[in-house]
Amino acid sequence: MEIPDTYYSKDEYVETASGNKVSRHTVLCGSQNIILNGKVIVQSGAIIRGDLANVRTGRYCVIGKNSVIRPPYKQFSKGIAFFPMHVGEHVFVGEGAVVSAGTIGSYVYIGKNAIIGRRCVLKDCCVIEDGAVLPPETTVSSYMRYTARGTIEGGQGNPYFVPAAMQDEMINYTKSFYEHFVRAPAPAS
Amino acid sequence: MPSENRIKILPKAVVCEESNLRGDITFSSGCVVHPSATVIADAGPIIIGENCIIEEYATVAHRLEPGAVWDVNNILSIGTHNVFEVGCQVEAAKIGDKNVFESKCFVGRGVTVSSGCVVGAGIRIHGSQRLPENTIVYGEQGLQREAIDKQGSQTLQIDFLRKVLPNYHHLRKPNHDPKKARSVV
Repeated sequence: MEIPDTYYSKDEYVETASGNKVSRHTVLCGSQNIILNGKVIVQSGAIIRGDLANVRTGRYCVIGKNSVIRPPYKQFSKGIAFFPMHVGEHVFVGEGAVVSAGTIGSYVYIGKNAIIGRRCVLKDCCVIEDGAVLPPETTVSSYMRYTARGTIEGGQGNPYFVPAAMQDEMINYTKSFYEHFVRAPAPAS
Repeated sequence: MPSENRIKILPKAVVCEESNLRGDITFSSGCVVHPSATVIADAGPIIIGENCIIEEYATVAHRLEPGAVWDVNNILSIGTHNVFEVGCQVEAAKIGDKNVFESKCFVGRGVTVSSGCVVGAGIRIHGSQRLPENTIVYGEQGLQREAIDKQGSQTLQIDFLRKVLPNYHHLRKPNHDPKKARSVV
């Protein structure tokens, strides 16, 4: 699958030594608590709430425009606690998604405007459709597809819902997304 | 709308500087406003009661109806202990106490929200109607039913946020103290 090049202007994105590309129009709260493990793209308008708890993402993640990554909280008898959030490698978070999951495995695809409730667990290689709403504390296991209608479909080795080669597809997709997310060439003067 | 923003923040309210506030807005004590939350008071003042939480990308708006102008007496009053979760858009005519607006819900103008209501994630409510007390709006079709048990209180979360947010954010300073205001008079 070929992805056309997406260009960004030099002024808009900051590229770090480990290859993260982070837009300047993001709200990264508590940046000392956010760990992006390299080659992560954080697009404009995204919010990562590191002030509430630690957020760690693996390599080659894409955090889409206007999405909110927010560590989950749990209420105890004495006060509440926010839990650190772990995101695996090669995870795609679509535009406008609200992610409050506890853990997200690797090779996970989260569609546009999806809402992941508090302390959800997304295992490796699962798909969350565009606009799906996951109630708090939902677990989506590997190779399952959570539909916008609110059903969990698929099953081990049922390629109709999640491709059997989900791992390779997500690796290819996020890698090529990263490689085709390039700085706009300087205007010839 | 008045030419300048008049934002009153009572003591103990935590209002992040990165929030978008427009118009005449009063935050009572104990309110928590996260960064990139939006409160727009175009049609008249907004008064937000005690211990409300407004999260990121949540929009609370008091918009002008077509042809209307700013009216000081057209107050949108929001009660106490309300929670506006990430990305919700609330333009309700009146909001009572202890309501929860979950992520990405939309409550249109003309809706009156009483008390103890929960609007589920992603639900859109239009038209002119009144949500009776303890209503829960849920599911794909936006069904309504009465809550069986009461909503848990959000005070613990507010306590936590009030402790944590000042460590990471620049806050708008409380600029209105009812006690002092009284002593001046």
